[in-house]
Order: sequence, then C-alpha cells, then structure tokens
Amino acid sequence: MPSVANSKDSVHRIGNDAEFSAPTSFYEPTERIENIKAELLASPYSICLERPVLLDKFWHSRDYSPHDHYLVKRAKALAYVFSHRKPRIYNHELIIGNMTSKRIAANYYPEGGSINILEDIFRLEKRAVPLHLSPREKLHLFYLGIRNLKRSVGWEAFLKHPGRISYLINNTFLAQRYFVTEVAGISHQAGNYWNIVHHGLRRADEIARTCLETKKLIDGTPLNDDQIAFYNAIRITIDGICKMAANLADEAERLAALPETSPERSKELQELAGICRHVPYNPARTFWEGLQSCWLMHIIMNLEDYEQGLSWGRLDQILYPLYLRDIEEGRLNPEKAVELIASFQLKCCETMPLFSKRIDQFFSGNTVGQGITLGGTDVEGHDVTNELSALFLDAYAQILTREPNIHVRIHEHTPDWLLEKAVEVLQMGNGSPALFGDKAIVRALENAGMTREHARDYAVIGCVELGSQGRTYNSSDAALFNLPLCLELALNRGRKFSSGFLPGKRLGPVTPPVSAMKTFDDVVKAYREQVASVVDEAVKVIGWLENAYRKIRTSPVNSIMTEGCLEKGYDITSGSARYDFTSLQIVGLADVADSLYAIKKLVYEDKRLTLEEFTQILKNNYKGHEVLRTEIISRFPHYGNGNPEVDYMMQVAVDAFTDAVTAHRNTRGGQYLVGVYSMTCNVPFGKATGAMPNGRLAGQVLSNGLSSSNGADRTGPTAALRSAAFVDNLNFGNCLALNIKFDKKVVANRAGKKAVAALFRSYLVDQGGMQVQVNMIDSDLLRKAKENPAAYPGLLVRVAGYCAYFKDLPPDVQDEIIARTEYGG
Amino acid sequence: MLYDSKKERHQPLVLSVQHFCLQDGPGVRSVIFFKGCPLRCVWCHNPESWSMYPELAFKKHLCINCGYCMDICPEKAIKSPGHWDRERCRLCFTCVQNCPSGALEGLGLEQSVESILESLRPEYTYYKNSGGGVTFSGGEPTLFSGFAAELADRLRSEGVHLAAETCGLFNLDGIVPRDNSKILAKSRDSAREVWNFLSKLDLILFDIKIFDDVKHRQFCGTGNSRIKYNLETLAVLGHNHTGPPVWPRLPLIPDITNTTENLVEWGRFLRKINLPYLTLVPYHRLGESKREWIQIKKGLNIRDLNNGDLETAKAILKSEGITCYSPGEEEWTRLSEMG
Repeated sequence: MPSVANSKDSVHRIGNDAEFSAPTSFYEPTERIENIKAELLASPYSICLERPVLLDKFWHSRDYSPHDHYLVKRAKALAYVFSHRKPRIYNHELIIGNMTSKRIAANYYPEGGSINILEDIFRLEKRAVPLHLSPREKLHLFYLGIRNLKRSVGWEAFLKHPGRISYLINNTFLAQRYFVTEVAGISHQAGNYWNIVHHGLRRADEIARTCLETKKLIDGTPLNDDQIAFYNAIRITIDGICKMAANLADEAERLAALPETSPERSKELQELAGICRHVPYNPARTFWEGLQSCWLMHIIMNLEDYEQGLSWGRLDQILYPLYLRDIEEGRLNPEKAVELIASFQLKCCETMPLFSKRIDQFFSGNTVGQGITLGGTDVEGHDVTNELSALFLDAYAQILTREPNIHVRIHEHTPDWLLEKAVEVLQMGNGSPALFGDKAIVRALENAGMTREHARDYAVIGCVELGSQGRTYNSSDAALFNLPLCLELALNRGRKFSSGFLPGKRLGPVTPPVSAMKTFDDVVKAYREQVASVVDEAVKVIGWLENAYRKIRTSPVNSIMTEGCLEKGYDITSGSARYDFTSLQIVGLADVADSLYAIKKLVYEDKRLTLEEFTQILKNNYKGHEVLRTEIISRFPHYGNGNPEVDYMMQVAVDAFTDAVTAHRNTRGGQYLVGVYSMTCNVPFGKATGAMPNGRLAGQVLSNGLSSSNGADRTGPTAALRSAAFVDNLNFGNCLALNIKFDKKVVANRAGKKAVAALFRSYLVDQGGMQVQVNMIDSDLLRKAKENPAAYPGLLVRVAGYCAYFKDLPPDVQDEIIARTEYGG
Repeated sequence: MLYDSKKERHQPLVLSVQHFCLQDGPGVRSVIFFKGCPLRCVWCHNPESWSMYPELAFKKHLCINCGYCMDICPEKAIKSPGHWDRERCRLCFTCVQNCPSGALEGLGLEQSVESILESLRPEYTYYKNSGGGVTFSGGEPTLFSGFAAELADRLRSEGVHLAAETCGLFNLDGIVPRDNSKILAKSRDSAREVWNFLSKLDLILFDIKIFDDVKHRQFCGTGNSRIKYNLETLAVLGHNHTGPPVWPRLPLIPDITNTTENLVEWGRFLRKINLPYLTLVPYHRLGESKREWIQIKKGLNIRDLNNGDLETAKAILKSEGITCYSPGEEEWTRLSEMG
C-alpha cells in the first residue's frame, strides 16, 4: 500500500545545492503575455451561471438519489459539475482551463453565501463595479437561488431553526459587533500541491481503492460505513476531475484541428492536450505540466467550496525539481519559464468574488486572494530561496494585476537579492508582494500547536493567513470583530451610545455603569467582558455552520489536498486534517489602544474629568468639546510612534481578544486562533460605532489590522515598525496585516530600494515583526484617480491583505487609502 | 543679525532628531538638526535653524482659535492667537505646553548627549542593515563642536557611521600649517575644537553655493573665501587620509547658483582640489511656510526650477569633469577614490 503523504516527502530540502547568480534584471513581457493581459483588462465582470445550473440539473436528475450517503451525494454533485462544464480555451494562453463560463466572472454557489447577490440582482449595472448579466440570466439566477434555497448552508444552519434567524439578520445583514464570513464557505487553503505535482491524484485514488478493497484503513482498522462512503466519495470526485481534464484536452485538440488556427498555436494546443490527458491524475513530468496540474486542481478547489483564499503556497519549492530537470535536459530556459508563469498568474484574474453592495463594503476590491508564497526555509531552517523565487517575481512584474497575491518569506538568511527584488516590484507601485517574517510566524504556529518542522513549512493562505502547507484546515477567515464597539458597550452597560432620550440598542451583556468604575482596571475589565461575550456568540454561530458543512457541504477535494484525511478516512469537515483551526479577526485595534490610553490619562491620572463626563462627551460626539478632541488628537501619544507607554495599550486591547478566542475549540476539535487584519470592515464597522475616547468621531473609519489609526503615526516608518514589533505576536497564529505607505518619490531610486529593504529586514528579522505590506504611490495620483477613475483603470493599491484596482473600491475606502500616513514627504 | 563668534558659547539647542532620512549620506540615517547658523541664505528652507536661541513658532493652519494661549500667558504677551508681543515674551513656552492643537511650537530644546543617544539607539538596527548612521546637521553643527564631538565619541564607540552636513563656514586656522599666517591663540583653540569634531567623522557633506565672493555676500550674508579655503583644506586632509572624506553638495537655486558661470567656476575649483563628484540639490519652496511660522520676512521671490534645468546643470558640470548626483543616489564608493 502506498504511503499517503509522509512529511519528509512533501518538504524536501531543495535549492541549497544549486548556486546561481542573483538575478538583478527583469525579463520583458512577451507579446503573448501583453495580449492576454490586454484581453483580460478589457473584459467586463459577470456572474457565471454554469455551476448553479449544473447543480440544479443534477439535484433534479435521476443521478441524484436522496438515499445515498451524504458524502457520496456531495461527491456525485461535484463530479457532475466537473465533468459537465464546457471547456473554454482562450487565445495565446499557455496554461488552459476556464475558471467560469465567461472570461472574468464570479462563480455562484447556491449551497453557500452567493445568494446575497440577489439583493442587487436588478441593479447590477449600477454598482460601482458593474456586473454584466442579461435580463434572462438574471431571472434564471433568481429562480435558481430561490429554488435551491433549502440546499444552502444558510438554510441548514439558520433558517431551519426559527430561534436562529435573528442571528443571521443581526450578524450578517446588520453586522455591527462582528461579521461571520464563514456563512459563505470555508475554503482558505494552501493544499498539498507537492503531492499533486509529484504524485498526482493517482496516489489518493490508489489509497481509496485499496482501502475499499481491503475494507481497512491504512493502519489496518476496519472501515465503518461513513469511511466506506468517504473513500467512495474520493473516487467519484477524482473520476470527475479526470473527466474535466479530458474534456479540456478534447477541446484543445478540436481547436488545434481548426483551419484558422496557426500552425504554431496548433502545435501548442496539441501539446496542451497531451498535458491535460496526463495531469493532474499522473505526476507531472515537466515544469509546464506542473503548472498546468496546479491550475487544474485550483479550478477544482474553486468549484468545490467557494473562491476565497484558495492558494498554491510554496510554488517555488514545489516546482523547483521539475524546473531544474527541464533546464538540465534543455527543454526550458528561464525566459520561457517566466512566460509560462506569467500565463499561469494571468489565469488568476479570471475569477472574482460575488458580493452584494452591502457586503462589498466589508470586503471591497474584488479580491479572492490566490496566494503564492516564495522563499523561506526548509523544515530544518535552511534557506531555500531559489531561482524560481526570482522568476515568479519576474513574471508578476510583467503583469501587475490584482491577482495573484504574492507573498515573500523573509528570515535571517534570506539573500539580499530576494528582498531587494521584492522591494523593486513594490516600487512599481502595485502594493505587491507582501513580506512575512519567518521568525515570528514559526513561533506563533508552534504556539498554536504545530511541530517546529511543520511550522517552518508554512504557506500564506489568501491575504495573510497561515497554514502548514497541505496539512492544515484553517477556517482562517471565519469572522471579523469590531473591538471599538466593545469598548463603547463597556462604557454604556452593554448598549450603544445614544445622545437622545431613548437608550441605545442593547448589543452586549450588562456591565457595571461608568460611575462604578473607580480604577482604570475596572474599565479594562468591562471591555474584556464585552469582548468575551461577542466572541462566545460568534463561536456559537460558527458551530452551527460547521455542523451544516459536515452535513451538506463536505469537501472531498480538500480532503485529498490535506494530510490526515485519507489516513483517517473522514472528510476534512469532520476534523480529519493534521492541523485544524478556526480563526477570528480584529478590526479597530489601534483605536481601542489609543482610547484606553486617553481614558487612563484624562480620567485616572490627570483627573481632568470623570469617566461619566467623558462618556457623556462621547455620546454627544464631542459636540461643544472640540478643543478637548483636538488636544487628544494632536497632543496625546498614539500607537505607531514607538512610544512604549501607549504601545502597551495595544497589548491590553488585543489580549482581551486573544484570551477570549483561544479559550475556544471549534466543533471539529480544532483550536481557535487570532488574526489581526480587517479586510475593509473598518469602514462599515466604523459607521456602526460611536465617538471614541481617542478623538475619533462617530461613524468615522476605524484603524485596520495592526496599523495605527489613520494619520496617528507621525514619527516615521522606523517608529511605526518598532511599535508594531512591540506588540507580542506569539498568539497571532493567523498572522496580521500592517500597512505602510511611502511617498513614491522618496523611495523610488536604487538607494530607496536598499533603504526600504534594510528597514524591512530590521523589522522582520531583528525585531521579530510578522508581516508588512506596502503602498508606494503618491497621494496626488490617488486623488486624481478618485476624481477620474476611468483614466487609471489599472492602478493597483494594497487594501488589506490584498491588492485591488483603485477604481473598484467604494469612495470611503478610497479615502481611507489616501489618508493613510505617507512617509518621507 | 549675523552670527557673532565673540559671543559666549551656549548649550546647543536641538531643533529635532529625524529618522529614516535617505538623502543625508549613505543608507538609512538619523539627522540631528542643531539650531544656529552663520549664513543667511535667501533661499534657506530651514530658516528656523538660523538663530541659536529658542523661538516661538505659530502654525496657523493648525490653530483652532480656542484662545487658551491668551489666557494662560503669564506675561499677557499674546494679543490674539498667532500675534504676540516679542518684547514681552520671555519664551517660557507656557503657551506651547497648553496649546491643544499643537499650533504653537517651541523651537530649540536643550538636549543632553544621553537623551539624544536614547532616541538614536532604537534606530541602530536600521543603520546596520542599510549601511547608514547618524548625520549632524542644522543649522551648522560645527558651531557646537564641543558638544558634537562628545556625542560623536559616544556614537563611534557604539559603532555608528557618522557624517556631518556643513555650510563650510568655520575656523580651521592652523590645522594645516600655512605660510605667512599669523594666528591668534584663541582662534587656534577654536579651530582645534572644530577639527576635533570633524576628524571623528566618517564623511563630510560640504555645501557650496555661490563662487563669486560679492554675490555670496549678497545672497548668503557673508563672504566665501574661508569656505573655499576650508573645502580645499578638508579635501587635502581627506586625500592624505588624515581627515574624513569630503563630498560636496550644491543647492540648485534658479538664477542664483544655477548660472552657467557659477557652475563652471565651481566645476573648475572642484577639479582642481580633486573632488570630481557633486550632489545637486534641487530647490524647493518648503522654507516659505516655515518663514511664516516664525514670522520673519519672506525671502526673495525665487522661481521654481524649470524642467531641464537639472539636466543642463549636470551637462555643464560634466563638461568640467564633474559627475553629478541627485540626493540619495550618490555612489559613495567613489569616496575611496580620494587619496
């Protein structure tokens, strides 16, 4: 019996043996790459109806048997979609396989949260980012959505239970205290692409077949009925995947035979047909096959759960043996490899999420976060940066599109050229790649329960989230929390502020009145209680969802892609992955920290006013106390300036959340983790939050991730990074996002590149920083782009853990990005 | 008011210590701005660094007109926000401490060597990874050579790369023996103090402006023969490795320093003293708002640089054998050409 995925196999030490000259220049994009990019930029956004139509067909066909085991039912449905979708191959591309039935479109997941788009269905063209759909398609989608409502997780987890409906309404529709993202799906995975590339699906198929034949698990335990169904589901799924690849190969051959196809293209298509008949079932034999195999499995992952955070992880490591062999045997040169990678990366632009205008406020920018992680170490901690790390950056520099999401791992022995090359790509002004500090991340992942070896083999999932590649099931973007609102509730006995006669809405537990808070610790205690309460509630809601997933939305593909599932014979949604986590995110951390400091100073140290008076001022939104507000904003210390006294308040603010979150385990038995990033929830959460003690007015935007509140870091980037590194990141097992913005003029040249590289080396290596993401764009340009978006269609900015086209962002998010402190003016 | 060298020496005032500076020497640097300068260049973008004494600055754009300053001033010197009686003001800065908006600012703090070190030490990691360090600037750091040397000693012992930006007007009498020169003992002492500071540095960024002595007097307030002498002397010392290497810089001021004549003459001079490289610092208008803050007269009306001015200047200097650089883009390895 073949071994499944022994860890030694999947974390080979490679790269060290190959010395090569540091690549200093970038390759020019070929005409092919320019053409594909131009076509993509000119394509409108739409919604693909193929997946819901096929599912609908399947559910109402004879193939569907209500008596099947639920795992088999799900696998059959997925395999039906895989094998019946129409293959589409576009001009010029070297990596084939369409993500949807249109050039750029969102997949629709009737089982998940896609139904939210029906809110907008009759005004799709009027959105800031218009979606193009014919009236017929709209009606069809509406019909499909309603008809299959009972097959959705929302139904299973909430609507079925009358007592839970209010939670659905309060926490996704009127989200104020938190937003449960998991309603839409779990996804967020950096699967075991090492296995896919080097062993193919064949290995999983053989394990499933053997287990079914012997009726035993690999370790010899007899199978129960659920396990038999599981292995059957795996085989059905793999069969569906193979059919999809074969259909694609047929299409390539058909196109190759067309008279209008040029002989060169015809040859390419024939070659691609051969590749698709081989992978992903068989191990890839060449670099090209490796990339194509990864792409096909990526489509499959997208079709299974939903589109968010599906990442490839460490492709420079996974594909390196194939690359080396191709080079050695003369099949490939670096320039051709860059072209292949660029074509691969451009495929990432074909997909987008489906958010209604309401939800888009929380996750603006059309990101799906298809992460590629470069550089880093092997399991023993040796540097494995290699030539492919450079070529992936080269390829990205050629396209500079909103996807994929490039992540570069930095550690003590990262060669200067990689860091400098990453900064050079940043200087192109597109906000990518993001940089990750191995030291802090390995420490945090070990703290979350991983072995050191597995922690060192981490890959970034989606935006900033973490997993040991191919071993982790992390519902990494399960929910986001409005911490400033918790402070507001703590100052008002669990109610929102209200300046009128009526009391504000009750959202949290009753905590002591401010008149009873005799010390600063009393304030912190009430705040902690409010935070714990909201986390408890979200954990309860997420538990309902987890149960729904286990029942109606299992993940056979993800179970193939993750170590542990095939060994245990259970679906990944039952907790069979080697590591299992659910992660909760923080919004508005710096606002809470600065506010706690202001309360401590004004009320308890200087005793300039009582907490009751201060709270009353906040309820009145500083009306009549503008001078006090100005003083707090301009004279009080704020987080982000290297001032330990106020930076310490970050620790107080975040510890409340960490303690509340890590006390929980999910229903799969996995640990809850903390992530410090905000997507764009800081804008809608801000609208729902009253005035704060740090001078922020009601409704204003909140701080994001680990960044300071907008405009509060005035001492420059070195102090801002020091402040960020001051906050203990041991418990941030789901990482953090720190935004730094530079004036492009200052850091434009060679010296700027060296300086910024040095800055980040200090932060990520010497100071133990975890993550940093950078915008190097001048604000003047952004202001112009805001006035005249049409003139800057390709202008990319870093939003949260991801990049977006500036024109795709709603105006208040645009303003926030313009307002982020810019260094070096 | 010109700098009076006969005045007794003051505890130096520091305007600010700025970090992540990329144009004041190699790598990521922190710059210490001393307060006090012997020159009064009409284009100066740091006019608050002229006077050696503390000053009260008012940033009108921040003021919220709350009137706290008027109420709180012990001398009742403030008539309305932004308007105060300079005769009455004792520069006690009570108003600054109580200004909620930060519109009022006291310029020039007495800082100890220890407190400056404290603010620099967290930055060492950035120096280390970028090949950067600390730059003494101002104002004119050599005015405070005693203090600066003490600070430089401490920083050197902690392994920090040191540079200074100087306007070149200081006393080096007797450091290099000159024929037929009669040097007063007092003058020799002050020169030794300056040299004691400069010799501890790893790099001197030497500002040159107008070659013509008369024009220099007109636009910068003093003649420039001493500046030229000092540049030549430091170049010699640098070349024979008895002093730190020198890198000249020239602010490109439209119609003042940016004339063909001026550039050609400086080019020839630099070639003569074997410093064939130069940083051209383009003029910007930041100093104008600062003049308003400390309420001194607006300087000359200087036009912006035209497109192409920089390139023309570079070409002129190149024809004189001088390679020009933009701030932050210098090839510091060229310093090893010295000697």
